[in-house]
Amino acid sequence: MQLLEQVQDGVRLSVSTPEEDVRAAATANDSLILEFEAFRDGRGFSLAAVLRGLGYRGRLIAAGKVLPDQARHLRRCGFDAVELSPGADPAPWRRMDQVFSAAYQPASGDDRLVWRQRHTNPDAALAARLNAQWGQAAAEDLLRAVLDPALERKAAVISSFGAEAAVLLHLISRVRPDLPVVFLETGQHFFQTLAYRRELTERLGLTDVRDIKPEAAALSKADPRGDLWRSAPDACCTIRKVQPLAQALAGFDTRITGRKRYQNSHRAALEPFEAADGVLTVNPLAAWSADQTETWLRDHQLPRHPLVEQGYPSIGCWPCTRAVETGENARDGRWAGQEKTECGIHERALAPAC
Amino acid sequence: MYRYDEFDAALVRERIAEFSDQVDRRSSGALTEDEFKPLRLMNGVYLQLHAYMLRVAVPYGVISSRQMRRLAHVARTYDKGYGHFTTRTNIQFNWPALQDLPAILSDLAEVEMHAIQTSGNCIRNVTTDVFAGVAADEIEDPRPWCEIVRQWSTIHPEFSFLPRKFKIAIVGAPKDRAAVRTHDVGLQIVRGEDGQTAFRVFVGGGQGRLPHIAQEIAPAVPGQSLLAYLTAILRAYNLLGRRDNIHKARIKILVAAIGIDAFRDEVERQFAILRQEDLRIPDEELARIQAYFTPPPFADLPATSPAYDAARRLNPEFARFTRSNLREHKQAGYGAVIVSLKPIGGVPGDITAAQMDVVADLAARFSFHEVRASYEQNLVLPHVRLEDVHAVWSRLREAGLATANADLATDIIACPGLDYCSLANARSIPVAQALSHQLADAALLEKLGPVRINISGCINACGHHHVGHIGVLGVDRKGEEYYQITVGGSPDEQAALGEIVGRSLPAEEVAPAIARALDRYLEIRNDGELFIDTVRRLGADPFRTAIYELTDAAA
Ligand code: HEM
Ligand code: SF4
Ligand code: SF4
Repeated sequence: MQLLEQVQDGVRLSVSTPEEDVRAAATANDSLILEFEAFRDGRGFSLAAVLRGLGYRGRLIAAGKVLPDQARHLRRCGFDAVELSPGADPAPWRRMDQVFSAAYQPASGDDRLVWRQRHTNPDAALAARLNAQWGQAAAEDLLRAVLDPALERKAAVISSFGAEAAVLLHLISRVRPDLPVVFLETGQHFFQTLAYRRELTERLGLTDVRDIKPEAAALSKADPRGDLWRSAPDACCTIRKVQPLAQALAGFDTRITGRKRYQNSHRAALEPFEAADGVLTVNPLAAWSADQTETWLRDHQLPRHPLVEQGYPSIGCWPCTRAVETGENARDGRWAGQEKTECGIHERALAPAC
Repeated sequence: MYRYDEFDAALVRERIAEFSDQVDRRSSGALTEDEFKPLRLMNGVYLQLHAYMLRVAVPYGVISSRQMRRLAHVARTYDKGYGHFTTRTNIQFNWPALQDLPAILSDLAEVEMHAIQTSGNCIRNVTTDVFAGVAADEIEDPRPWCEIVRQWSTIHPEFSFLPRKFKIAIVGAPKDRAAVRTHDVGLQIVRGEDGQTAFRVFVGGGQGRLPHIAQEIAPAVPGQSLLAYLTAILRAYNLLGRRDNIHKARIKILVAAIGIDAFRDEVERQFAILRQEDLRIPDEELARIQAYFTPPPFADLPATSPAYDAARRLNPEFARFTRSNLREHKQAGYGAVIVSLKPIGGVPGDITAAQMDVVADLAARFSFHEVRASYEQNLVLPHVRLEDVHAVWSRLREAGLATANADLATDIIACPGLDYCSLANARSIPVAQALSHQLADAALLEKLGPVRINISGCINACGHHHVGHIGVLGVDRKGEEYYQITVGGSPDEQAALGEIVGRSLPAEEVAPAIARALDRYLEIRNDGELFIDTVRRLGADPFRTAIYELTDAAA
């Protein structure tokens, strides 16, 4: 808004002028000065809003008793300029005009509308809401919130059937046992994992666990001997996990994972709800500690992965997993000796399956 | 409940920055006291008799455990260890130091609270039914609409310098539990002809010196047009409302002066020329906000709880509490517990920091972290499992919050009066306390059934005495505190102003006089007839006689 330090020429009307007379004056003039007799007398704001609502394109100038604190009211109601009283300091006018970065109400010529900004990315807005509303809630409540039919999300769970997978699957079985659970059958799993997958599924009454296998053609071309992991683990993960998972999850807009902050430093800032690439990712256990996980498994007498006893706290494909020594981080046993910490799926915020 | 996103949070932070700038300019003399006053009021800062008072908004009465704990922290750190809940579901702190205000506001902002527009000639905190989302008679949960109106009215460019304050209340059920007809604008959710959400709109209610019950201006404004219609009402009022006399500046005076039909024409004229499409609430925004108010994850419970039934059988005191302070819930196996801020002989609406913490803890454990503030100056734990009600009651009882008097005669609504307020003629609190002692007997209270008694310390009517079944108004008789009594007022869907029964009484005669009126009711009521219905049937006369019986005999 323009700050005018000179007295302006032109048609000058008090804000106490009846609305019809102001409208008539506007029809006849391409500039109007509205004079406020007291800053508490807010009629001038409505008069400007009426004129702008009717499509008045002329110049509107506010004059008289107005405060710097009303600068944005004037601008947002359709004034172009304000005539400052003699000797007035323009600095607070400029400051007060710009205090707010956005506004709730649609008003004349305003583009920083909160409504509009909110809906440029609906999944991000949903994730933000769910984090705000349910971020601190118990994992089961958080799951119920996102699986509320009213949200109409198409959700699938991704599970490795690894060392801690039972917790998430147990919660799922309590909330929606028929929810699709995607298991990446990479072809390189420990046989104990495959046995555990069957045992846990049965025990929890999960009715839709899907074994997702790599495409046979791709496999025979790129990894005919099944030892690609030795030379190029990233490529191996791509064919055995990333691609199959992408196919398996097409059509789902919501993915539920068991990732937790404590698992590695990349996950330290993990939020319960994340939005990226048109997908909502839900990490109900994000805030859980290792102890909490152990306690849950024990309290609910959930079957453990057979390899846990043998010192494998994090379990993936057999070639890329080893037991850890006391004092090592749980995931230190994954891709041991390599820079790799995640299988590449997580980069797209998708899965914990490694 | 609603939670801030980045935009809401930014606006509250920016508002604090703006207010700090204003305080600095006041200190440097760039703003005069006259200029500063409305700005400070719009941030909830009043000057009372002895100190500043900060009024913090509890939008439509919904508070989380976390927010309640923060209110306790504010009371403990910056005040004398207590706060006061008002009829418009705000909380007032009576003793903050001016220099602590920025720190208090920042502490509140961290938990998504503020004092914006809790005072001043602008649109105030929107209020609603304390049982929103709980009551079975609800057509639709009004809270998403309250939040829409809250956002729309916050820092409004056009309506921040109105002739006078402007209060809006919204209910979602035919039963009015938010006194909508005593508001400048009252909204009642109805189904439009198309089956969609619509609003029956009342306008021109208000109390104070010239009380009015609001009149219907529109039977069914479609939800999509609500903000446009409100804009038209506010615009008509802003342009036509009186600004020459503060006592005649509210919209009620304008509506009464030109008549509801002329006012409706004016609103419709403004409605026709404003850009309605800009104000149409986008579907995705409505859906976004509604999503915050989906029911909490209730468990599937049977409608009755053997543990609860057994506790009621074994403990008559608990049973009494459940009869008066437990309300039905639309979810089977749950109830809503009214936390009484009306202990016998206490200050209505006052709550200590320690009590706030107790309520916060109980809400966290038993009510999905949610508390509500009610029009009656009580709190409510809205979603308690029946089997948990006994545990909740025991804890409330230890904390002095389990008085079994919700909606009964000692559930008195009272303003702060001369103990705090610079406008008062008379004290309200001691009169409320005396009355509360007089009627303390629990069996008597229960026999009397629902009676709403309201006390205001002056004609501004902060205690809503005009719409109390029995109203008490402090008046100044040659420098002495006297009290005028009204009978037959009602704040609900049968809203009515009480009738003044006769000359005013000195303080010590108020409680006995009211007790006699209530005794008279017990004598003359039909079976099962409520106090207010007896008044409606027989008029004020029998009560007038009872009230003046002794004094007349003496004279
Ligand atoms: C102690 C500081 C307070 C002051 C200075 C104050 C001042 C006023 C004034 C001047 C009015 C009349 C406004 C008018 O009719 O135009 C009023 C009305 C009102 N106040 Fe207060 N008040 C105070 C505390 C309270 C409290 C504690 C409550 C709640 C219990 C409250 C709730 C109300 C309500 C509900 C009305 C009536 C609104 C209506 O006219 O519809 N106020 N107040
Ligand atoms: S974890 Fe190892 S074996 Fe499994 S897909 Fe990745 S690289 Fe291949
Ligand atoms: S009714 Fe009067 S005395 Fe009571 S708070 Fe309001 S202004 Fe003060």
